[in-house]
Amino acid sequence: MTTAASRFRIPASEMEMIQRLIGREPTLTEEAIFSAMWSEHCSYKSSKVHLRSFSSSHPRVQAGPGENAGIVHIREGICLAFKMESHNHPSFLEPFQGAATGVGGILRDVIAMGARPVALANSLVFGSLRHPRHRTLFRRVVEGIAGYGNPIGIPTVGGEVWFDDRYKDNILVNVMAVGVVMDHSIMSAKASREGLQAIYIGNRTGRDGVSGAAMASRGFSSDGGDLRPQVQIADPYAGKNLMEATLEIARLRLADSIQDMGAAGLTSSSTEMAGRSGLGMEIDVSGVPLRDFSMEPWEILLSESQERMLVLSVPENVEKIREIATNWHLSSAVVGHTIPKPNFIVRKGDQVLADLPISHLTEDAPLYNRPGQTEATGRSLSASPSLSGTHSLSDIFHRMLDHPNGGSSRWIYRHFDFEVQTRTVFGPGHDAAVLDMKDPKRTGVALSVVSLPHACSRDPYLGGALLVSKAVTELAAVGAFPLAMTDCLNFGNPENPLIMGSFQNAVRGIAEAGIALDIPVISGNVSLYNETNGTSIPPTPMIGITGLLPSIRNRIPGQIPAPGLRIAIVGQSRNLALGGSYLDWILEEEIQDSVPAPRYDDLKKLTSFMMTAAHSRRIASARAIGRGGLLRSLLLMVAHDPSLGAFLDFSPAVDPLPFFFSESPGRLLVAYPPDEESSLLETAHEWGVPFRSTGYAARNVWILRYQDMEGTRKEWTESLPGIKHRFQAALSQFMEELP
Amino acid sequence: MQSISGFEPVWVSHASAILPDLDAVILPGGFSYGDYLRTGAISAQTPVIRAIRTFSEEGKPVLGICNGFQILAEARLLPGALLVNSSRSFICEETPLLVQSTGTPFTALLPEGTRLSLPIAHQEGRYFLQENELRELEQNGQVVFRYLSNPNGSVHDIAGIANRSGNVVGLMPHPERRTRSTSPGSDGLLLFESLLVSLLHRHPDTDKPKSPELSWANSRS
Repeated sequence: MTTAASRFRIPASEMEMIQRLIGREPTLTEEAIFSAMWSEHCSYKSSKVHLRSFSSSHPRVQAGPGENAGIVHIREGICLAFKMESHNHPSFLEPFQGAATGVGGILRDVIAMGARPVALANSLVFGSLRHPRHRTLFRRVVEGIAGYGNPIGIPTVGGEVWFDDRYKDNILVNVMAVGVVMDHSIMSAKASREGLQAIYIGNRTGRDGVSGAAMASRGFSSDGGDLRPQVQIADPYAGKNLMEATLEIARLRLADSIQDMGAAGLTSSSTEMAGRSGLGMEIDVSGVPLRDFSMEPWEILLSESQERMLVLSVPENVEKIREIATNWHLSSAVVGHTIPKPNFIVRKGDQVLADLPISHLTEDAPLYNRPGQTEATGRSLSASPSLSGTHSLSDIFHRMLDHPNGGSSRWIYRHFDFEVQTRTVFGPGHDAAVLDMKDPKRTGVALSVVSLPHACSRDPYLGGALLVSKAVTELAAVGAFPLAMTDCLNFGNPENPLIMGSFQNAVRGIAEAGIALDIPVISGNVSLYNETNGTSIPPTPMIGITGLLPSIRNRIPGQIPAPGLRIAIVGQSRNLALGGSYLDWILEEEIQDSVPAPRYDDLKKLTSFMMTAAHSRRIASARAIGRGGLLRSLLLMVAHDPSLGAFLDFSPAVDPLPFFFSESPGRLLVAYPPDEESSLLETAHEWGVPFRSTGYAARNVWILRYQDMEGTRKEWTESLPGIKHRFQAALSQFMEELP
Repeated sequence: MQSISGFEPVWVSHASAILPDLDAVILPGGFSYGDYLRTGAISAQTPVIRAIRTFSEEGKPVLGICNGFQILAEARLLPGALLVNSSRSFICEETPLLVQSTGTPFTALLPEGTRLSLPIAHQEGRYFLQENELRELEQNGQVVFRYLSNPNGSVHDIAGIANRSGNVVGLMPHPERRTRSTSPGSDGLLLFESLLVSLLHRHPDTDKPKSPELSWANSRS
């Protein structure tokens, strides 16, 4: 059989597979369908084999990977639906629309489960802000997230950002949405039987985003031409109406199943819904509401126009569903129905344009176990840093605070309506966001989003394990224990064995940590081909973990409320390796340390200790020792009050660099009234958690006394207004409004 | 709202031309009609606004918060306009305010000069009024709230105003976000408690007046 060149950029080897499977040449429409369904974005062909190592089994899990979003039970009939997704490629091409549609898309995944979204979070990575292009990209991405989240009325409660020139040709925009759903309103994306009507509701279909999934499954190249038509356009007002209509349909139990028309639009939603139960689907494209009547059938099938849902229902409910759509100013139409023959049949009136077994599009899609190779780090794993002397501690600390990576992210979250819905108890600027569930038991839900681009670039396996450990530490800081995890795995070209190797290692690190800490992975997303002209991004997995606060009253804030409170370091300090830390990045890898390996038992003890201490309400404030280490985390605890500082005195001798700058997970700073110290020490002892009282919060000073390894007493002071100014200005100085 | 202040809220559709029996009307924040065309412009043309106009002409209390204020201004129930912030960006942050008038149902418990801390969350919150009308607004004591550190470029630091008779009030900050035990403060509750006191004063024989919250096609605060 000869291989025709694909009109949809399907690789020759896969074209041959298609011909073999169907025993003939595919029609134009069929080829279009294959191009979308076999794209990396839809088929997970390079990653699926490895994602099997994630565990989603846990008694709390109500829906796992394979649904629109994962669902975890929290208490008495209340569940959380959540998922994280990337919108990297579109955001680089058109930052405002790319980011806005990323938010819209992840919201619809949660809404399709019958859940009302209550929070959004994000993780963003850009090139250096010294490049004007990246200032524009960054500003427009932030405005795009705000431009969808704010109007639709979902608070953006947390996130993080990293600027690094290794991402100057491929930025990362990952967004997470969390929704609340009652047990009995959970929807599914799995058709239950034949004869169900497929009802399209939402905006009309246009040419925007045609082949978006395939575009996002390739790298960029300088001769790639203008890809902007493949970016979708957001309409948050229609999105809000679609949300209300979908939730009404779910609440009234009118639908059999619902799926968002996201990547590969009508094609993937209809085939996947039927395919999950071995049924078929017949679609008539002439019924699809169009914006542009000159659209070809294959364009209609592949369009990724936003704000659309596909609802399957028994014929009796069609009228009621369409009436709800009309009430919310949405288009609706019956576009097809489920059939017993497990095929995807596309018609335009009487003309059959495609007739393919759905299994060819899904199970028979190519599955690659691409060769992976672990990169040799070329570093000694035992050498410890001996940098004191070459850099003054004060200089290092200043450099950390002066860089946008170490500064306040207030410039970003000022754009986000983070309090709409009045659930936000801790918003942006905290370790983990905390939401009030407003239920009779006064449950709180916490949310931590973590990426560690530098640690993952140094060691993808330990970096992956660190992501989970860091999130658990951040949840412990607010008084929450972890519930479940979602992930978004951003990597370069999987055909490169080094990149595939880093992917496998990162997945292994995340999966092992999840199993060790009993945190199921309930949803996720993979973004490969983040490369331009053959250069890939460093491995950059990101995760989101939700946590539970049994009572919102016992939450622990991240700011120290008053001077005079004592400060202690809690948690194991056995391994303070600096590999992959912010210090390591600032010093451009002069550090030979390895990335610290987390100790899961210690993390579990830390969570138990913090839950106990939160319950007895003895801790006034807590923060995870995170990016930049002990001192930057301490600064975050006093940043809200211009005159609040600290006086710390560390009595046993310390090795200054690791002591002050290590980001080893499982360590917290806590502040508490002095008379609580003995009972806190007792509780810490019971849980086997080290608790080291080190000083107190004080007005107008920043004094650190310690003893170095030679036994010399040292005093390190900083001007409090000086370091606070550095922290506040680091990011905003790049982003000041131009006249 | 019910659980916190004892009011019984009733949601009223944007399409209703007649209001049920209500004691007060609150237009919450949100992005009605996606803020398309101009903030509040489309909502100001909906049937319910005609009903609210009649309601307000009877001297009954009407409060517009954020988008609700923008709608009241577009409907000419309040003077002036809300323009894009001078920073041209969305601003979400806590802002200190001063109460400037105690003569409205929403500030009855707040002596002039009371300092409140409430959050703002808007992109179009820069209050603007022509100089001569502004002078009149000030002279009549219609400025109800003033920013202490003007975040958006509003003329005369204006954060909230009332109509001539004081029963219709609009403000950009969000009092409803500072009413819960879990919110960073509870200053916002004072506005709703003021309303309760004003209504009780007006209806001495009812101890629990009804008060509605209006629903908009696309608003949620």
